[in-house]
Amino acid sequence: MQAQDKNKTDNLPKLGRFLNKIDSSNGVRFIFIFLITVCGILFVIDFFIQKHDHFTVENLYGFYGFYGFVMFSGIIFSVKLLRTVIKRPENYYGVKAIDQEIYPEDELEKVDHGS
Amino acid sequence: MVHNLTTPTAFWFFYSVILLLALPSGKLRSSFLLMVPVLAGIQLWNLPLGNLVQFKLFNFDLELMRVDKLSRIFGLIFCLAAFLGNLYAAHLRDTVQQVAALLYAGAAIGAVFAGDLITLFIYWEGTALASVFLIWARRTVAAYHTGMTYLIIQIGSGVILLVGVALFFNETGSIKFELMSLTSLATWLIFLSFGIKCAFPLLHNWVQDSYPAATVTGTVILSAFTTKLAVYALARGFAGTEILIYIGAAMTLFPIFFAEIENDLRRVLAYSTNNQLGFMVVGIGIGTELSMNGAVSHAVAHILFKSLLFMSVGAVLFRTGTCKASELGGVYRTMPRTAIFCLIGAASISAFPLFSGFVTKSLILDATAKGHYYLIWAILLFASAGVLSHSGIKIPYFTFFSHDSGLRPKEAPLHMQVAMGITAFLCIFIGCFPATLYSLLPYPVGYQAYTTSHVINQLQLLFFALLAFALLMRSGIHPPEIKAINLDTDWIYRRFLPSIITKVENLLDGFIFRTRELLSLKLYLVLRILHILLGREGAVARILPVGSMVLWMVILLIITLVVVFIGF
Repeated sequence: MQAQDKNKTDNLPKLGRFLNKIDSSNGVRFIFIFLITVCGILFVIDFFIQKHDHFTVENLYGFYGFYGFVMFSGIIFSVKLLRTVIKRPENYYGVKAIDQEIYPEDELEKVDHGS
Repeated sequence: MVHNLTTPTAFWFFYSVILLLALPSGKLRSSFLLMVPVLAGIQLWNLPLGNLVQFKLFNFDLELMRVDKLSRIFGLIFCLAAFLGNLYAAHLRDTVQQVAALLYAGAAIGAVFAGDLITLFIYWEGTALASVFLIWARRTVAAYHTGMTYLIIQIGSGVILLVGVALFFNETGSIKFELMSLTSLATWLIFLSFGIKCAFPLLHNWVQDSYPAATVTGTVILSAFTTKLAVYALARGFAGTEILIYIGAAMTLFPIFFAEIENDLRRVLAYSTNNQLGFMVVGIGIGTELSMNGAVSHAVAHILFKSLLFMSVGAVLFRTGTCKASELGGVYRTMPRTAIFCLIGAASISAFPLFSGFVTKSLILDATAKGHYYLIWAILLFASAGVLSHSGIKIPYFTFFSHDSGLRPKEAPLHMQVAMGITAFLCIFIGCFPATLYSLLPYPVGYQAYTTSHVINQLQLLFFALLAFALLMRSGIHPPEIKAINLDTDWIYRRFLPSIITKVENLLDGFIFRTRELLSLKLYLVLRILHILLGREGAVARILPVGSMVLWMVILLIITLVVVFIGF
């Protein structure tokens, strides 16, 4: 499938055109600010809700948020390290592995939108 | 003794294969394929609990239809998965895949209702044999080899099961499939056999190897049955076995890292399957009513949201010819509905409130907390952030959003959209109204998923993790998707063992060569002597050629006579 003119939006379906509008630099900034706001609200709410959890750590304010943030970042940093060790080229296992094989065309129904 | 109150549900699937072959390929066949699991599901729904079909084979009492709350829910979800899988595959005109799908679903359902270990073994192997055709149906060299490896591992699991069952019968005199304890070689072998199909750590690689190699529709069907059958078998045979808690915890952990850097998105989902199975295995290992309910309900929810994710990635593969993250991106523009279905699947697997994963996974997490398994609880919580990273964010983001690859594929075909739509609806329905699913679970559920603190805790975990993702993406730290593969345990059988075999072969080759040289020298000597004796110039040939022939004939006749004489 050939790459097409990226800016053409006339032949997109309605829903696609709508999502495309959000996917602008303004839209992305809005999503980012929205995300920070939600996190802020969730952190503040933590002070007001009744906690009845099993472990002491759970009762620390913002424990779950902190855990999520740190663990997620931890995963990303550690996989960067892991990748340097276990990464291999796509043809490493040769023709007997599907890694570099092109999916057979007759099984597919490739259709360019609008064509 | 024959005790027969109904037709075993699995048989509906087997009988229907004959009918299927009689029908002309086309829409009629596709609709027939949808009817079979619906009728089977209706039959199951209306069956009473109990041992409904028993008969005697040699000296064994075989139980083909043990319906209780545990087997019934797995039977029902398998029927539903078969329906959704067949609907997704309604465009197929490939008889091999259609027959394989029916037999595979039938065998899995048969195994779930097996009340004895022999019946279980037969269906266990049945799932292996039927499912491999979903890989071979891709009809490429790599698919052939991958299918072969898959078959060897699956059949191997069955053979280990058979040995275990034989030893078990020898020890106990019973073949009933009940709760076992790991006290003998027999039960350890049965446990190992279940473990292979459940993709325990280090035995897991067949999942990552085979799922991305199957056809677009085959992967959706593959993802539903084999591993969840193993979860059922563990729940039936080894509930409360403590070692499962640690195995399960390890299962939730390691796939996270591999999934995060994998480029083939169907393989990412295979790793993700592994991670989710870990949650169920932990639940089974704890073995309380709460945790067992958690494991079973999570298996049900997982079948749905994982199918949905495989369907959406499959639809993109179907339209673009690739499902590699490095090649995709931005296809939401022309496939917006598929993108939204994918997001629903991603939200469900990440356990966002109002989606299915939230109301099922929390049962397991709560059970670990109640059982005071602090470390396991922390690991599962970590794994929950991990699920979000590879299935919740990576799959939808790098397939449909991210940078614009310039690909403008047409939206998925209507039947695929309907299949995804129904599955997405079910994911949300279970999330919003968990009582329906809870009422089908093996034990009564007194659990309340939607408490303020639980919802806030979960939202905090997920939103702060999302924030971390956004920050890492913006700062360019997040690892990019690149065309590459990563080593896993498959390296052992793809590289290490073959290299050893090659070395041994070379050694043997050298040995054989030298032996042959030696032999050929001796052979030359023998031929030389024969030549001297019998050759043109040889002693026997030279003197009295006619006479010597007569002499030899006489000798032969005498030998014959002696032999005949002795013979009579």
